Amino acid sequence: MINLIKKELSYYLNNPIGYITVILFAVFSNFLFVKDIFLVGSASMRPFFGLAPWLLMIFIPALSMRIIAEEKRTNTIETLLTLPISETQIVLSKFVSILLLVMITLLLTLGLPISLSLLTKIYLPEIIISYIGLFLLSSSFIALSMYFSSLTKNQVVAFMVSAVAIFFLLVLSTDFLSTVLPKFIQDFTNYFSPVYQLQSFVKGVVDLKSIVYFLSLTVFFLFLTVIDLEKRS
Amino acid sequence: MISLSAVTKKFADKTAIANISFNANTGEIIGFLGPNGAGKTTTMRLILGYLKPNQGKITIDHLDPIENRIEVLKKIGYLPENNPLYSEMIVSDYLDFIAKIKGVGSAGTVADTVGLKEVMSSKIEELSRGYKQRVGLAAALIGDPEILVLDEPTSGLDPLEQEKIRLLIKKIARKKTIIFSTHILSEIEDIANRLIIIDRGRLVYNGNKPGGRGGVEKLFKKLVKSL
Repeated sequence: MINLIKKELSYYLNNPIGYITVILFAVFSNFLFVKDIFLVGSASMRPFFGLAPWLLMIFIPALSMRIIAEEKRTNTIETLLTLPISETQIVLSKFVSILLLVMITLLLTLGLPISLSLLTKIYLPEIIISYIGLFLLSSSFIALSMYFSSLTKNQVVAFMVSAVAIFFLLVLSTDFLSTVLPKFIQDFTNYFSPVYQLQSFVKGVVDLKSIVYFLSLTVFFLFLTVIDLEKRS
Repeated sequence: MISLSAVTKKFADKTAIANISFNANTGEIIGFLGPNGAGKTTTMRLILGYLKPNQGKITIDHLDPIENRIEVLKKIGYLPENNPLYSEMIVSDYLDFIAKIKGVGSAGTVADTVGLKEVMSSKIEELSRGYKQRVGLAAALIGDPEILVLDEPTSGLDPLEQEKIRLLIKKIARKKTIIFSTHILSEIEDIANRLIIIDRGRLVYNGNKPGGRGGVEKLFKKLVKSL
């Protein structure tokens, strides 16, 4: 597994697309946060964690779109699947490689809490827990994007479908829906929204229900990806 | 070593191969002949456990390639049709990657065996077709597998490169079971010691290659109705 993780990582590290995507995310997230920080009037990281899922909606599908679709387009998937390595190992290796890249990217945003701590007193445990939440959210987005990448040979299609699927998950708990949906449906849709589940982490609370939600979403889509590879579709 | 017994594979309503049976033993070089779409690649993919048969039984060294996929794949070196490679990788990195996945640590001497020494630090995408084919062959040979399944190993190569690949296959053939598919009839005469012909998914010949120059061609034309 480690060799496949290394191979996948080296693709991104030897390819400008990997760097461009990671740097763009870091630049956008830092800029959009800093732009409003003095307008809001309170030195808090919460606006950043409110914004991050929407940026990850673009960033993660952009990183994941090629991960299986390109293997299917070039038929290297046949090379891989005729080597002594299981489908589960292949999917997990690819998942871990993107997860590591996302972790590096999230590390690039640590400048924000550090800068903030120079301006005011920050509550460190809340920020650490928020980052854990963002990490769990990212892992579920990666698994979802990998699944859609496994369904097509076209990277652009994989990107578009993943981004749209994540968008629908994100809008489930937006104010717009809360004004049009009855309360009991709203409670139901909230539960399926990653933004809603992230909120407890952002408040500094480690909520077991939210952890189960993100892990279930991750395992579910990884499982579907393994099934797709086993089908040799 | 390899045994197929009444194997059928269907894709939706289309039957790719029907009721195919044959055995292959150590030391045999089996030439797999058939027109385009006859079912050669499907049969090879079934042997590797890449595809699952709808009916029949396949065993590799008494192991089922679906139930014992990893164990079976450790015994087989495979060169797929059109030789898909990670073109962005450097040759030495690619061979090391394959070696580690196969659990053999390093590619060893296969690069020398197939004549890749001078291009080891080149990117695969920069190589000629002949060299790319050698990279695919080297990858198949890593770990010294007991069985080699080569799907059109000389396809698209110029006559000189074809000759080099043929010599290579003959060189590595001892103590191995080799199944190779081809469209080139003279290749069968040159390398194979047994011939299997399939046509429209059905096995139409399984036996010794006919003697004499042009014998394979005459037999092929006689048996293959879809030409």
